[in-house]
Amino acid sequence: MAVDLGQMAELLIAGKVDDVEKMTEQAIDDGMDPSDILQKGLIAGMDVVGQRFKACDMFIPEVLRSAKAMGAGMKQLRPKLVASGAKMAGTMVIGTVKGDLHDIGKNLVGMMFEGAGFQVVNLGIDLDTQVFVDAVKEHKPELLGMSALLTTTMPKMGEVINALKEAGVRDQVKVMVGGAPVTEEFAKEIGADIYGANAASSVDKAKEVLEA
Amino acid sequence: MKSVMPDMQPMNQTVQETPVFQVLTEDQIEQIYFSALEVLERVGSRVHHDEALELFRSSGDAVVGDDKRVRVTTSLVERALKSYPRKITLKGRNGVRSVALQKDHVYFGTGSDLPFTYDRKTGERRRTQYKDIVDAARIVDYLPNFDFFMSHGIVGDAPNPLTYDRHQFMAMLEGCTKPYVVTSVDGEGLEDLWKMACLFQGGENEFRLNPMFVAYIEPISPLTNDRTAVEKLLFAAEKGIPAMYTPCPSSGATAPATIAGMLVQSLAETLLAIALCYLKRPGMPLIMGGVTTVMDMRTTTYSYGAPEMALASAANTDISKWLNLIMFSTGGCSDAKVLDEQAAIESTLSNLTAFLSGANLVHDVGYIDSGVNASLESLVMNNEIIGMVRQVGKGIKTDEAHLALKVIDEVGPGGEFVTHDHTYEHWKEWFLPKLMDRSDWETWNAEGAKTMLDRVNDETQRILDEHEPQPIDDNTRKELKKIIDDADKRHSK
Repeated sequence: MAVDLGQMAELLIAGKVDDVEKMTEQAIDDGMDPSDILQKGLIAGMDVVGQRFKACDMFIPEVLRSAKAMGAGMKQLRPKLVASGAKMAGTMVIGTVKGDLHDIGKNLVGMMFEGAGFQVVNLGIDLDTQVFVDAVKEHKPELLGMSALLTTTMPKMGEVINALKEAGVRDQVKVMVGGAPVTEEFAKEIGADIYGANAASSVDKAKEVLEA
Repeated sequence: MKSVMPDMQPMNQTVQETPVFQVLTEDQIEQIYFSALEVLERVGSRVHHDEALELFRSSGDAVVGDDKRVRVTTSLVERALKSYPRKITLKGRNGVRSVALQKDHVYFGTGSDLPFTYDRKTGERRRTQYKDIVDAARIVDYLPNFDFFMSHGIVGDAPNPLTYDRHQFMAMLEGCTKPYVVTSVDGEGLEDLWKMACLFQGGENEFRLNPMFVAYIEPISPLTNDRTAVEKLLFAAEKGIPAMYTPCPSSGATAPATIAGMLVQSLAETLLAIALCYLKRPGMPLIMGGVTTVMDMRTTTYSYGAPEMALASAANTDISKWLNLIMFSTGGCSDAKVLDEQAAIESTLSNLTAFLSGANLVHDVGYIDSGVNASLESLVMNNEIIGMVRQVGKGIKTDEAHLALKVIDEVGPGGEFVTHDHTYEHWKEWFLPKLMDRSDWETWNAEGAKTMLDRVNDETQRILDEHEPQPIDDNTRKELKKIIDDADKRHSK
C-alpha cells in the first residue's frame, strides 16, 4: 500500500517525530519520488504549522515538535534529494559570537530553520571570528546566522562580516543577525543581509532573500 | 451506564487558592461584628414598610419606635445568621449550572443601570437604550471571564419608567445566556422578572433549585430602609429568590470617614436584613453585599476607583466568610471618563483585590465615569485583566510533576527546556494573552503599531459583528411578551 502523504503531513502537524521519520523511510523504500515526499508530505505539513502559528492556533512547543518531525524526515530524505538533484532548502550555519554564552535563542532559530527544511549546522556559543569563517568555507552554506544577546558582544558580528570579506567568501553566503538588542538599523550598519526580529519571522525573511 | 444530566455540566469555577490574603484579623472581624450588633441594639435602623415593622414588633426580639426605628436583639440576629445557605448555584438560560456561589469561588460580572453609554460611533456620552443592553449582554455572553450579567446600562427608551425593569430584563435575556443579577422597580417588578425567569427554569420550585438570577436590593445609608427595597426583600424571602441587600455607603458622607466605621455601619445595615428575612421565611438565600467606598473630598464623587474601595471590599469579604455568608463585591470599575490608562489601573487593582479576597460575585466590571457611563470596550479590556488576575489567584502547584526535579536533572546545566515533553505538557497551564502585546518591536510596527486601546476596540467590534447568543424560542418569547405587556397595561392607567 502506498504511503499516504496527506497523513504524513497530518502526523507532522501533530508533532509525531518517530511516525514521520518511519513514514518517510517507508515512502522512500516504496520508490516514491523524493520531491513528492518533500512537497506533498513534509512541506505541506509545515506550511499548515506556519499558518496556524501565525493565527495563534499553535505555539512554540508545538511548532518545535513539528520542526523536529520535519528534521527527522529530512534526515532520511536529504541524500535522495541530493542524488535526484531536486530543489530544496539549503544549509545554514549558526552560532553565538565571542564573549556571549547565550544559547537557547539561537538554538530556537536553528530549530525553526530545520522545520523549514534547512540543514542546520549549529556551531555553538562564544565562538571566535575565525570559527565562523572556517565553517563558511567548509560547509558552503546558503545562510550564516549570528546571535548576540549583549550590547557588548554585538560588535563581534560586524567583525565576522569583515573577516568573511577578507577571506573572500562574503559573497557566497547571506548573513543574518539577531538577538534582543539587535535592530534592523544595526544589521544594515554592519552590512548584514537579513535582520531576524524573532525565530519565526527570521525563516520567512531568509526564504524571501534566498529565493530572490 | 453513566448518564449525564443536562444541568450537571462542569462549572466554570475559578477557586481562589492563594493561601493567605486577608485584610482583617479574626480579632478585628469580631470587633467589627460586635460593634455592628451594638449599633442594631442601640441606634437601630429605620424601616419604611408596615409588614416589616409588624414582623419585628411581633417577634418579641425587636423594639419599634414611633419614628419607625427598629432596634434588634443580638439573640435574633444570631439565630437568623445560622439559617442562611452557604451555597447557592445559579443556572443560566443556557441550562448550565455555571455559578456555584460558595467559599472562595469567584465570579465576575457587570454592574447595572448606568444612565449613559459611551457611543462607539460618535465618541459621545448619550442616554442608554434597549439596544445597548442587548449589545453589552452579547459581549458578556461571549467573553469567557464573565460569569454573570447585570444590565450594564438602564433602558432609557422604555415606554414607562415604572415598568422599565421588565424591558431591561428582556434585553438581558435576548443577549446573554449566563446567570443574571437583576434590579427591579419594586416588589411587583421583581415578581414579574421572577415569572419571566420561571418560564426558562420550569416553574417556581425548579427556580428554587436552579435559580437563574439574584435580585439586587439596596438600603439607603445610613441605616434607612425604604419601602420598595423592603418590599423586594420580603418578596424574595417569600419565594426563595436569591437576593442581596447591599449597602452602598460612601465613607465621609453617608458613613464614618474611617473604613472600620463604614464597615460597622454597613454590617449593621446587612444584619437588619438578615433578621428581617429570617422573620419572614428562615433559610431564604440571602447574600451579603457592600459597595463600600469613599466620597472624593474635592469633587464629592462616589469613587469607583479608590484604593479604599478595594480595601474595604476585601474586608467585607473577610467578614462574610467569618459569618458563613456568600459575598457580593465590586471590581473592574473606574472613575475615568473614558476608557484610558486610569480605567485600566483602577480596574486592575479592584479586580485583583476582589479575587484574592475570595469574593463570590464581583460586579460593576466595566463601569466608567464613577458609575454613570457604560463602556462596552471596558468589558473587553476587563476580560483580559480578569484572565490575568485569575492566573495569579490560581496559585502554584507543588506536586511531583510540578516540582519537576526529574526534568531539571534530564536537561542539566546549559541545556534547554523548550523542546522537553514536560514543557509541551505544562505550558498550557499559563495565562494565554489575547490583547496583551508581547511581540517584538519590529512585528508590532509591522502589524500597525496598535495600542491596547486599538486592540480593545477591534475586539469589541469583532464580537459585536460576530457573536449571536443562543436564541429564545418563539413560544417562550410570546409568554415573556405577555408578562411585559400586562405590566405596561397595568401601569398605563
